[in-house]
Amino acid sequence: MVYGVLRLINFAHSEIFMSGGFASFFLMKYLVGTSSPNGVSSVFLVIAGVLVGGCTGAVIAMTVERVAYRPLRQRNAPKLAYLISAIGASYFLFNMAGKEFGRYDLSMASPYQNHTVFTIFGAPVTLYNIIIFVAAVLMLLFLDRLVATTKLGRSIRAVAQDSETASLMGVNIDRTIALTFLLGGFMGGAAGFLFGLNIGVVYTMGFTPALKAFTAAVLGGIGNLRGAVLGGLLLGVVESFSIAFVNPAYTDVVAFAILVFVLLFRPTGILGERLGRSA
Amino acid sequence: MNFLQSKLTKKILACVGITALICLMTGPPGSPTAPSAGIVGSFKNESSFFGLFNTQRWVVFLILGTVVSTLAFLYQSNKTEVVKATAKVVSGPRTLLQHRLARRSTLLALFVLALVLPKIVTDAFWQEAMVSQIAIFVLLALGLNVVVGFAGLLDLGFVAFYAVGAYATAWATGALPLPPLFGVHINPFFAIPIAIVFAMVSGVILGIPTLRLRGDYLAIVTLGFGEIITLFANNLYGITGGALGTQAIPHFSFHVGPVNYIWNLAPVPYYYLTLGFVILFIVIFYSLEHSRIGRSWTAIREDEVAAESVGINPLKYKVMAFAIGAASAGFAGVITAAQSNYLNPATFTLYVSINVLVLVIFGGMGSIPGAVFGAILIQSVSMYLIHTPPSGYQAQDLYIYIGGLLVVMMIFRPGGLIPAKRRGRTQVEASSTASEAN
Amino acid sequence: MERIFEVSGVTLRFAGVVSLSDVSMHQNRGEILAVIGPNGAGKTSLFNSLTGVYHPQEGTIVLNRKDGEPLSVIGKKPHVINSAGVARTFQASRMFNALTTFENVKIAAESHKGLGAIGAMLRGPRTRKDEKLSDQKTWELLHFVGLSEKANTISASLSYGERRRLEIARGLATNPEVLLLDEPAAGTNPSEKNDLVVLIRKVRDEMGVSILLIEHDMKLVMSLAERLYVLNFGSVIAEGTPDEIRSNPAVIDAYLGTTTAREAK
Repeated sequence: MVYGVLRLINFAHSEIFMSGGFASFFLMKYLVGTSSPNGVSSVFLVIAGVLVGGCTGAVIAMTVERVAYRPLRQRNAPKLAYLISAIGASYFLFNMAGKEFGRYDLSMASPYQNHTVFTIFGAPVTLYNIIIFVAAVLMLLFLDRLVATTKLGRSIRAVAQDSETASLMGVNIDRTIALTFLLGGFMGGAAGFLFGLNIGVVYTMGFTPALKAFTAAVLGGIGNLRGAVLGGLLLGVVESFSIAFVNPAYTDVVAFAILVFVLLFRPTGILGERLGRSA
Repeated sequence: MNFLQSKLTKKILACVGITALICLMTGPPGSPTAPSAGIVGSFKNESSFFGLFNTQRWVVFLILGTVVSTLAFLYQSNKTEVVKATAKVVSGPRTLLQHRLARRSTLLALFVLALVLPKIVTDAFWQEAMVSQIAIFVLLALGLNVVVGFAGLLDLGFVAFYAVGAYATAWATGALPLPPLFGVHINPFFAIPIAIVFAMVSGVILGIPTLRLRGDYLAIVTLGFGEIITLFANNLYGITGGALGTQAIPHFSFHVGPVNYIWNLAPVPYYYLTLGFVILFIVIFYSLEHSRIGRSWTAIREDEVAAESVGINPLKYKVMAFAIGAASAGFAGVITAAQSNYLNPATFTLYVSINVLVLVIFGGMGSIPGAVFGAILIQSVSMYLIHTPPSGYQAQDLYIYIGGLLVVMMIFRPGGLIPAKRRGRTQVEASSTASEAN
Repeated sequence: MERIFEVSGVTLRFAGVVSLSDVSMHQNRGEILAVIGPNGAGKTSLFNSLTGVYHPQEGTIVLNRKDGEPLSVIGKKPHVINSAGVARTFQASRMFNALTTFENVKIAAESHKGLGAIGAMLRGPRTRKDEKLSDQKTWELLHFVGLSEKANTISASLSYGERRRLEIARGLATNPEVLLLDEPAAGTNPSEKNDLVVLIRKVRDEMGVSILLIEHDMKLVMSLAERLYVLNFGSVIAEGTPDEIRSNPAVIDAYLGTTTAREAK
């Protein structure tokens, strides 16, 4: 979504993801500690995790936009400058996290008892899988409806297509961009919480997921929300298969390879919505 | 609401924020079991105000912050005079160097300084650092400067070429599980051309499919390529020795005619060898910059469509830039391999690519003196911080500063420390003075 | 008379929009040919197809070079077509903004050379000789278009008229057989327009370069062009001499209007 509006890759998205993970890690540590909740309290805890992770992500995202991107916009900087600034912001943030919170893998206190809920063709579907699925569906619905029907959504689409004309029509560019980052940041931060539930958190946790997120977005059609979901699904499936057939250490190579191939041969992605110009 | 939105309030908040941030950045670290230790400690720790009196850190920073902010406000209000005065001072060296004689004598002085440096700096740590950290990174910065600065291509996987050069040396000298060609183990000296060729070829292989891509896509793809090379180095046990690293790589030795010299562990001979090649690369890259090729790169950076319309093949020149930059990195790899006698994939990470990028950007994209001085400056500072770390400093904290530096540079001085003389639109300098009347 | 360009049955589509529809035309060597028509008629698309920026889905475009094989243009890259002898200017002048007038032309003059990187790095005698020749050629061209005094000005600060002339010099530096001019008079004042007409004629008369131009200024076109094509909605609706076009009812209807037709006399 941020790419659709700004036409640039937000390299700092990995840190937004990470910040959500860490914030919710501390929340879970405080709320759950060593206990094993289930039932209704689990539901509340998960929702709390999503909210806290999301809000942290949103705050970090808006701060990054304000500090690292907006000044460049005000100076009419070329694309390269945004990329470099994003990398700088990313490095600043995750190394600060490492400094403040340690450079170790940390596992999150679980707000629920994970168990297999049912099986499909013998493959177990756990409570965790269900949570992720529900979260993804809700997020997609929410964002989709927001972009399609609300005033904010219209502003976002307007700025994405032609920011100059949009501002002439009375759209507040700065505010729209800030709100786009807020939305994207919320999603990223919440994702950080959900990711952390399974894998745990560490200060470098954002790098690979963000790269794969970008791969998924490009695969599905950059700037296209439904495409992003489709791309994510496809990437996940391909990765799962590759783990079965190829040395697991090379799983990331598979993801990168997909990215390179898509960019070379079908840069518009599967759903082919081309919002940008060619080179 | 007016109070909160007034410009003054915003500025004050910004100053407070920045001061607090710096206080936090330079404070003690935290840990997962004591997550607030770092944050709280940064502000509450005991500290002395420059030895005058003992107080807590936040007080020190509050005072410093107020002083600096006041100076900044004063600067803002008298901006034009100060800017004029500083401009005169800053342009002094530049105008001086317009004269050929001044230029030549400065270069000569620098050359002499470089020659006698090992005599002046005798501390073992620093002598070692001069080669393995500073000289190597000067080479890497020079190479990346060609790619990013001359041709305007954001390559985030530059470390790959460095790794290729290093591992190629290891291979040719027989230090890899994979035996060298014809089973002949050669000396790293003669591996230099092999390593450079390998690096350049990988530059071409990477470049041909990817250099048609747009700026940010290219960045991601090169980043991916860098990661893939690292992954391979770490996992191809049969070829590269995997995460365990290579076997022993011999030092350089030169047996030609009457000359019989073997480099050993001592860093100083390596320093002179590397210095020689650094000078060679500087001369070559300087000629390139002012040649037809350099001009074509500038044209492509300025307006690729127009460049094409006058017969310039953008892909050819971009691939050339990749290959030439890779050559410098490949050579750096040879030095690393021969001097440390051993390679470990952990040396070749994304951090290195970003590190080199910072050197080039800080020094000045597209500017050879910028790349050289940027590399020397930042690497020296980082080595200093490792050698005598201030309290609470951990080695990776360097990247906090590097990250912050990148952002600040992009906003306030995108041209870098020593900006390239020939400006270019894509060369990250903000709005040009001449209006774009299209 | 030999034909330098042969275009037949060219159709260009962009995701549902048909930009050029079964366009056939030709240009004779040494002729000043114009393409006119309302905005959106496909004129610049035609230019872009002739120079390799766009690749039409149907049809053929053949460039007949003076000493060489005829070249099929469709599918080739722009720089290849430029090397073959086709130069162009752009509707909105595309300068190498940060470079001087001199450097702009010099880059074009040396683009077809080729000792390559090794030569550039070693700066041997051949490289230096090449560079001297390029410099010389650049000066001659700047003098030809009347920009010698502005040689060391940054091109971004040139006036519209000067930019147009710079683009012409830059195009000529690539030794073309045909020069495509995209609205060269746009944004220029009447005296600059007159200078342009004189210059364009000079290019054809003294350098033997055929001219193909797009233009909206009817007085300029009618006085300069020897033959015209009229495009509308991607198709050729008329072809002929200025007199024939002026009195062609379809053209008057679509584009000229009766007043303009009278004025252009």
